Amino acid sequence: MRRLLTLACLVTFAASVGAQTAATHRSYDEQFIGPVLSDPVLQHAKETFVLFGCAYCHGLNLVSRGEATDLMHSALVGRDENGNRIGPLLRAGIPQTAKLSPMPQFSDLSDQQIAALVTWIHYARQQGRYQELTAASVRRGDATEGKAYFDRACGSCHKADGDLARVGSRYDAAGLRAALLKPKTLERERSFTLERRNDKAFAAAQQRHHALLENYAADDVANLVAYLGNLKSETP
Amino acid sequence: MHLTRRDFGKVLVAGISELAVLHAAREARAQAHPNANRSLINGVQFGLQPFCYHDLPMIRENRGELIRRLVRNGMGMVELHATWVEPRFNDPGVSAAAARDKLRAWRLAPSAGYYRGIRKELDDAGVSVFTYYVGFDESYTDGEIDATFEGAKILGARGCVGSFGQAVSRRLVPFPGRHGMFIGLHNHDNLSDPDAYASEASMVTGLSMSPDFKMMLDTRHFTAADGDCVGFLERHHDRMVGMHVGDRKKHNGRSAPFGEGDAPIIELLRIVRDNRWPIVALLEFEHGTLRPEVEEVDLMFDYCKRAVV
Repeated sequence: MRRLLTLACLVTFAASVGAQTAATHRSYDEQFIGPVLSDPVLQHAKETFVLFGCAYCHGLNLVSRGEATDLMHSALVGRDENGNRIGPLLRAGIPQTAKLSPMPQFSDLSDQQIAALVTWIHYARQQGRYQELTAASVRRGDATEGKAYFDRACGSCHKADGDLARVGSRYDAAGLRAALLKPKTLERERSFTLERRNDKAFAAAQQRHHALLENYAADDVANLVAYLGNLKSETP
Repeated sequence: MHLTRRDFGKVLVAGISELAVLHAAREARAQAHPNANRSLINGVQFGLQPFCYHDLPMIRENRGELIRRLVRNGMGMVELHATWVEPRFNDPGVSAAAARDKLRAWRLAPSAGYYRGIRKELDDAGVSVFTYYVGFDESYTDGEIDATFEGAKILGARGCVGSFGQAVSRRLVPFPGRHGMFIGLHNHDNLSDPDAYASEASMVTGLSMSPDFKMMLDTRHFTAADGDCVGFLERHHDRMVGMHVGDRKKHNGRSAPFGEGDAPIIELLRIVRDNRWPIVALLEFEHGTLRPEVEEVDLMFDYCKRAVV
């Protein structure tokens, strides 16, 4: 008898847990918010973006609705570094505007919440810009323009006669394009081990390439591919 | 505590029965009262601005889903945006000007029985259209404005509402009276635009243009514009037909779930209830939620129901 009751209790408990899980699942609007991301930091950032109503005007994936600013192509977002431009704007709002509804101010949010919003805006923009750039028709670029862009934007970290010497021999145009938009070595998740948590060089490189991805024009990519494709010997 | 097998059985059966009763009650609530009074709560007529269903694009192809959701949320009244009714002509390759011309031509000569068919869809579901939300602007011809009022009237709307400013309002003065309807002025919160309805003074100016102009006070926007919602209701209730009921924080603050912002929703609803004013409370919110919007509407509606029962 006691075993029977224990079994029944276990079944009831399991059913109750199952029901709670189902209820939790029902209360997460996957159709609107999308599936839960594997990276909990990004998932939290996405949920913060939804919870404070940003997604309804600017679009969850930055495809803006109505009169809201297009964050996918906003110059201010493109120039932002770790929220140094977006953060103050969120706190103050834009009360003076020609639009029907001014951008609200979010002065009551914590620094962590502002950081989460900034994280999502940049992540979503990177995903969107990557899609735009990979969907753009491929055209032959101008190697001279590409060199000028390289010297301006890439030269502080890379050298045509150093780490990128002969890169044109190792990759075809498609490979160069893919490596430019999403360098594989920078795609790993951030480690929180004590040894690697403060790997500033990696973090800086990752941030720099993400910033480039957010701001590349299709012509910039074509020109860079043309320039790097010419690097087939030790001396450019 | 000693629980016998029989006791355990009773608990189990009671639990299952309770679940069944709850489910039946929810279904009954959705089916019962096939008229606008489904959402008449203690003398206060509630309805919904379907903008709340943020995940549902406001296009006529989604109208069936909209009606299902309204019924599911226990709503018997709606403010219907024209985009739930009218076709779109902005196909790829069609210029904005060409699409606008096609829409104008459609409005001037909708197919016979078009609006009546939609009215039947709504009637069959027990949903009344209180107001028809139209983006009147300078591009509307006189004939188009008249045709829009005609269509709205067939849908059962008592007036047309829009987010236009004072200049467009002046142009609209002669139209609502011809159709026995009203124009609902809808405020936003742009205090820097002298043409916009945002301050109480600007709304009084708009209302003075015509006795057929009524106020659809948006509590979210008015709160964000540091307006006094309760004072406005006290002073202008005889010129008000409805409220867009939602919450925001003051000083151009963000949208918030009901009760978490600065809009005095409970007080407003109780004033309407206790004075028996015919002012419709249309729920409209813009705050974010991780829940499906139907659940969120349920929660916000429950907040309002508790305020008036």
